[in-house]
Amino acid sequence: MASELRVNTLKDASGNNSIATSFVAGGSAKAWANIDGSGTVSIRDSLNTSGLTDSGTGDYQTAFSTSFGNENYSFTYCGGQSGAETTYQMDTATMVVGTHRVQLKNGAGSATDRDYICGTFHGDLA
Amino acid sequence: MTQTPQFQGVHLFDRLCWCKEHLDGVQSDIRIVFEDPNDMDAPAKILVPDPNWVSAAENGGVLPPVESYWELAKDEAQPDFVKHTRGYLLHNTEPVGPMTETTGPYGGWVNYLIMKDISPSVWQTWNEGNKPKMVICRKEQLPSTREWRNAWKISEELTIEDVAA
Repeated sequence: MASELRVNTLKDASGNNSIATSFVAGGSAKAWANIDGSGTVSIRDSLNTSGLTDSGTGDYQTAFSTSFGNENYSFTYCGGQSGAETTYQMDTATMVVGTHRVQLKNGAGSATDRDYICGTFHGDLA
Repeated sequence: MTQTPQFQGVHLFDRLCWCKEHLDGVQSDIRIVFEDPNDMDAPAKILVPDPNWVSAAENGGVLPPVESYWELAKDEAQPDFVKHTRGYLLHNTEPVGPMTETTGPYGGWVNYLIMKDISPSVWQTWNEGNKPKMVICRKEQLPSTREWRNAWKISEELTIEDVAA
């Protein structure tokens, strides 16, 4: 790395509002993906993912480049599309340290695709 | 090609953050279509390469050997697995060199990605049985509508000549 700061605690200019750098690092997203679910699926942009498996309608599996350390990581998904209701039901089919599979559903409970599918993952990496 | 720092011993996540800052993503039209032998009634699955991962693979010096992932997979398969204790395999093993789709370590990044993200039960026996279980193709060869894709099988649309060696 070109340069780095090595500090344990961050504070504002007046010396208040301290926060541990471990807290900042631990709370930062460790992976995310913006998926284009229209037509043949693709990934618009991402961090720490190697690929996406399209397994059927609304059924996506994200593979991580750096695996999570355990299966207790956290995830957030949303799906949206102009002129369509926001997708708000998610069934997690498989959640393991190296991959995460989710199925998006509409309000009626049917599996559905959306033009914009975004997933964010927090947790401890291997 | 951007000069990659000496990354052996650097956490893989930090390397990927470096790539995010210094490399442009590469949108590949390669798709890997496969059928899960444990769920033969399911439609064919399609593996899509991540653009940032492809740029890291093509630049070289970033990704660990795919064997590191296999070792972690062995740990995860243990019934008493709780957490990874051998993450260093990703971070301390010498990174692999530059790859194109079909050249470089492992015969190119397509093969590497298959061996990383698809079950060995598919790629180790992809051409055994009555028909191939896996096909490497271009995005344009796939059915573009979901109705088609959900009922799609490899043998119906792609021939054996499309299968990568």
